[in-house]
Amino acid sequence: MARILLKRHLILVALLVGEVLLFNTISRVPLVSVSDFVAIVTQSAPVLFLAFGMTLVLMTAGIDLSVGSMVALIACAMASFGGEDADSTFWITAVPCGLLFAIVLGSLNGLLIARFDMPPIIATLGTMIFFRGWSFVLLGDRERAPFGDVPGYDLLGEFFFVAIGLVCVYVVGGIFFARSRWRQEILLIGGNRIAGRYAGIRVGRRLWEVYTLVGGLAFLAALAFTSRNSSVNASALTGLELKVIVAVVLGGTRVQGGSGSLVGSFLGVLIIAVLEEGLRGSALWGHEYLPFKIRHLEEVLLGLLLVTGVWLHSREREAMP
Amino acid sequence: MRGLSKPLKYRLLFLFVGNGLLLLLISVFLREGASFTQVLSQAGPDCAPIILAGLGMTGIILTGGIDLSIGSVIAVAGTVFGCLVYWEVPPLLCYLACGLTAWGLSTLNGALVRKLRLPAIIVTLAGLAFYRGVALMIADVAVPDFGGNLSVQDDAYHGPGKFHANSILLATLVMALVWEAFAETPRRWLALGNSPEACRLQGLAPGRILQSAFTVGGILLAVGALIEVTQVQTIEPARMTRGFELRVVGAVVLGGTNIFGGEGSFAGTVLGAFFLYFAQQLLIYAQVSPYLQEVLIGGAILLVIGADCTLNRRAKMLAELR
Repeated sequence: MARILLKRHLILVALLVGEVLLFNTISRVPLVSVSDFVAIVTQSAPVLFLAFGMTLVLMTAGIDLSVGSMVALIACAMASFGGEDADSTFWITAVPCGLLFAIVLGSLNGLLIARFDMPPIIATLGTMIFFRGWSFVLLGDRERAPFGDVPGYDLLGEFFFVAIGLVCVYVVGGIFFARSRWRQEILLIGGNRIAGRYAGIRVGRRLWEVYTLVGGLAFLAALAFTSRNSSVNASALTGLELKVIVAVVLGGTRVQGGSGSLVGSFLGVLIIAVLEEGLRGSALWGHEYLPFKIRHLEEVLLGLLLVTGVWLHSREREAMP
Repeated sequence: MRGLSKPLKYRLLFLFVGNGLLLLLISVFLREGASFTQVLSQAGPDCAPIILAGLGMTGIILTGGIDLSIGSVIAVAGTVFGCLVYWEVPPLLCYLACGLTAWGLSTLNGALVRKLRLPAIIVTLAGLAFYRGVALMIADVAVPDFGGNLSVQDDAYHGPGKFHANSILLATLVMALVWEAFAETPRRWLALGNSPEACRLQGLAPGRILQSAFTVGGILLAVGALIEVTQVQTIEPARMTRGFELRVVGAVVLGGTNIFGGEGSFAGTVLGAFFLYFAQQLLIYAQVSPYLQEVLIGGAILLVIGADCTLNRRAKMLAELR
């Protein structure tokens, strides 16, 4: 299993390197230097945070379609809580309230799935619409921008703090997770829920914990998003959930549950981010050589990448003894 | 109705009564200048794309699959239609090309799911992105100086969507419901959704059954796409029918179809789609703030399905442990 995982990660790294090399030849914006890498990681911080949670959710054979709306709602709630003239009190009022709110939203998903026994795709489809509507109730059509006025808030969007957050989540969280009994229980729930119940695992409790954790990560994503953009409106981040799911699945996590890789998800997000950034930089090249706008290739390539990635993974699985 | 399980029957009854209640409430809130018959006659064209695509989706979900790409498929069909209109091709050919595109792509989805042996959700999730990009590229290539939208002003090109939507919907519905009641294929879909393994052991070909669900779904999607595309004056390949698939899945699931396959009915989907539509209309007529509407619709989906799941929870857990 470890060898297969290593091979899979090597494929992803090779894909990433190939992408960087390709875009370096055709793009006007180079992608190899450290500062470019830093920029890409900082930019995709919200997706990276959410990808961690989504990996766990997919491991339990669930799915969370509501993450995009959830991040938007948390950001909107913090914005309207901060009021028109935000100052340093924002740190002790809106930010903790945002965290609390995020956990409540996450545990609402968990409650619907674990307690009411709703299929995850339906429950989170409902909450996706529900959360989005709630953001509109809070902000209407207005654009709110209290975040720029809060002293020190924009620092959160700097690479240093983003990196601290990511290290905390992926390295520290990942190491704890990899060695924990919790991980085994989650994987067993995803692999065979009924067997999990027979084994004495508290299935509902674990599911609830996973979805609540996604809520907490959505809060981090909202911090990363608002500190960089400094303003938010109710329709922000529409379609983010798909990007996260594509990245996680590309990274080798099984949609049917029972197996998954956090490192893979991280690489998956980077592959998509580099693709986006590279295509943006290659606009001139595309204008010269292609009959269509090169940015329209993004979604086509994303789709192809997803199918080929998962297809390769599934073939390996079949070859496994 | 004989083959339906008890919860499904209750769901159909609930939706039937619910639709009646919603209509009653709408008639209470109706104001001067709007007649009840107008509300009813507008319901057909407004709901037709969701209902027709929903019937196709029901078939696919019955087999245990799902098609998340239908919104993008309609975008491709719409772009093909818009480009042909731009080149002044006669309307009938435009309609044909639009329908064939939608049908072809849906069939392609089925073939991919079958050949690659990947879960339908993955293949069609990729399709969701892929076809959207394809639609934009087609527009880029076929229309010089494509600026983001294709204009279709001539009423000659709006036949199915604006003038015949009700009759097309009615005819397709009757055919689909009769077919579902008497044909063998929908039973095979149910069988596949219940147990692929049992299907295989019975000597049925799971791959072929899955393919048939996508092919039949494609026909229904084609009709739905035609109505959707010919209703609008401008076709925006990047934005049209975004989120359509989720609205359709919402209607299908509200109609009592089990999202994991093996249980459901066409009639439920029709009632579910009308329920969501009338609920929205009621909120409009009751002058509820448009911002609150989405919250209430999302809440309604959660409430109906949540209540259903909770009520059947005990029975389901006991069945699982047996």
